[in-house]
Amino acid sequence: AGDPLITEIQDWNRYLGEGVDARPYGSPSQFEAHVVRKNVPWLTSDAVSSVNFTPLHELDGIVTPSGLCFERHHGGIAEIDPAQHRLMINGMVEKPLVFTMADLKRFPRENKLYFLECAANSGMEWRGAQLNGCQYTHGMIHCVMYTGVPLRTILEEAGVKPEGKWLLAEGADASAMTRSIPLEKAMEDCMVAFGMNGEALRPEQGYPIRLVVPGWEGNMWVKWLRRLEIGDEPWHQREETSKYTDLLPNGKARRFTYVMDVKSVITNPSPQAPITHGKGPLVISGLAWSGNGRINRVDVTTDGGRNWHTARIDGPALPKALHRFYYEFDWDGSELFLQSRAIDEDGFVQPTKDELRSVRGSNSIYHNNGIQTWYVNKDGGIENVEIS
Amino acid sequence: DDPEAGKKVFAKCAACHAVGEGAKNRVGPHLNDAIGRTGGAIEDYKYSKAMMEAGAGGLVWDEDNLKAYLANPRGLVKGTKMAFAGLKSEDDLSNVIAYLETFSEKQASAATPPETVTEPEAEAAEDVAEVTPSAAPQDASASVETPAGTEPGAGKHFKLGRAATPEEVAAWDIDVRPDGLGLPEGRGTVTHGMEIYDENCASCHGDFGEAVGRWPVLAGGQGTLQAERPEKTIGSYWPYLSTVYDYVRRAMPFGNARSLSDDDVYALTAYLLYLNDVVTDEEFELSKENFTEIQLPNEPNFIDDDRQEEPFYAEKKEPCMENCRPGKAEISMHAAILDVTPEDAGEDDQPAGGGID
Repeated sequence: AGDPLITEIQDWNRYLGEGVDARPYGSPSQFEAHVVRKNVPWLTSDAVSSVNFTPLHELDGIVTPSGLCFERHHGGIAEIDPAQHRLMINGMVEKPLVFTMADLKRFPRENKLYFLECAANSGMEWRGAQLNGCQYTHGMIHCVMYTGVPLRTILEEAGVKPEGKWLLAEGADASAMTRSIPLEKAMEDCMVAFGMNGEALRPEQGYPIRLVVPGWEGNMWVKWLRRLEIGDEPWHQREETSKYTDLLPNGKARRFTYVMDVKSVITNPSPQAPITHGKGPLVISGLAWSGNGRINRVDVTTDGGRNWHTARIDGPALPKALHRFYYEFDWDGSELFLQSRAIDEDGFVQPTKDELRSVRGSNSIYHNNGIQTWYVNKDGGIENVEIS
Repeated sequence: DDPEAGKKVFAKCAACHAVGEGAKNRVGPHLNDAIGRTGGAIEDYKYSKAMMEAGAGGLVWDEDNLKAYLANPRGLVKGTKMAFAGLKSEDDLSNVIAYLETFSEKQASAATPPETVTEPEAEAAEDVAEVTPSAAPQDASASVETPAGTEPGAGKHFKLGRAATPEEVAAWDIDVRPDGLGLPEGRGTVTHGMEIYDENCASCHGDFGEAVGRWPVLAGGQGTLQAERPEKTIGSYWPYLSTVYDYVRRAMPFGNARSLSDDDVYALTAYLLYLNDVVTDEEFELSKENFTEIQLPNEPNFIDDDRQEEPFYAEKKEPCMENCRPGKAEISMHAAILDVTPEDAGEDDQPAGGGID
């Protein structure tokens, strides 16, 4: 008697597997085929100007695998031979310059782990609970190790004139994506990255180079970066006027809302990852982040915010990067209302969705960092809800 | 030295520095009592390592060294995090320092200038990523931080790249600003714009800018910004006409970008103004010359980011941990009721609202 998986000899224990060169650039196990990015077809008119979502409920730690980083394109994926790529600096500089990829790789470089969150992440939740799964409610975020050149180094090579106050970054794709960035930020911690997680950027993440704008909304991290222009005023491009501005209930709209505010979400258990093991030890796990820097603390509640418990942050706590938290407890099989609440190093506390709506109404689309609620029923099934 | 003139010069500094009653640290330290202050002396401001070392080496701000610093920040304190290229005019320098002196108790003469500013070792002076491990993961040893002195290349020149030619800059630099900077020569009428629109745009944006499917609506929507379903169009929402010209020229028609001439884009922009009732004459001609005379109605309704003044951020209250709300939690809204999650949704499912852009 016994488990046949143990008492009987299995195929993989008898027959030989594939040799070393069968998978020259390896892929995940065939049994992980369900771990993929997914889109929401009704969100946009066409897949070449759309978004898909990182399967946060299938991941752990703080680094997102390159192939699972969510995608947002405005003109499809540009496929650019690095030998044919150029980066230009023009505008209010001492000397307009053109760099090849070979030039860029001769500058001193740095390695930094940062999260990238779309400003519209959780945007569908402004009007209430709508999508069942943290992949859809929170999956427009990823966190990878970037390798590249400090933007400041490249700008100083061209020599920024004193009247220069703004930077325009432009992509080489069919949308020629552009965003205006204050020069202080460009000089502080931005990067021109050519690597992610130790390998070259993936095509869908801007290969051969993208801009890295730590802690600020993802749309500013221009992919397929081809031009940097210095000027004395912002340009008011489409993606910083008609889009990525936050409409308030009084009809006014905020612009230049760059920083991604303090935020967290429980990734497991969650609607796409219900509890299947019954009562007993339960690991609650999630992610927290802030565009202001590090996360100081994450609290978790199992009763919908009546009582909170400080969670354990595990792994590196790096500024403007994802933080992984855990809260372990014995589940007695009763209903739960799970929430997490992050506090960042500047003392900002993640607000509730109702607090956000009390000021911003529900038409903002962007910058929804409200506390998320998962309802766990007695069978361990989970649903996205709002509670009172 | 004219403090009043210096106040105007200070506008260049005010993006990062505050001065005056109640001034707080912002991107840069506050500048009350800046004259006579030791370099790197404000305790709750995170200076660069270079500035801390300069202060430890005896840097006390007076009129002379402040003038040198403001003329060329990284020339005086190599590795300073102040990303300011420097003031070039001697008058501006004197005047802005005179202005700062009005907020300093110790006048420049009262300060004892050090003989030389310590020039820290090049490597150490590079701006260390201002690390204060205030975050408290319970396993502090897991906090991996960048080692000291690792911002590569700060302040150096590498003589990499080559000069961009005027033709190359002209080929790529097509951006247009609200003040008209970047507009090319050219012109086009509403009538001509309608022909181009019908051929290139109407299949997605509809015959009158009303849109097909979920493609962007281009016209109408005036008066809906406070409604439950605001319709954000060029006429109802966009603040600047320059954005229309710039975006159409760089990215439209979708899938055939850069195929329209500059005149075509003027004509299309004129037609979009007509569809939005900003101009009413079919013979109206838009050109480089009259472009900046056109104002879009919603321009005054854009405000700068004031999120930090929202009550839940401004107060920075220590959050409640126990017995925070009475009674048991009650569900007020289920995702399942309007479930549009892709795995379960059919082709015809529509969202309750919201969207990504």
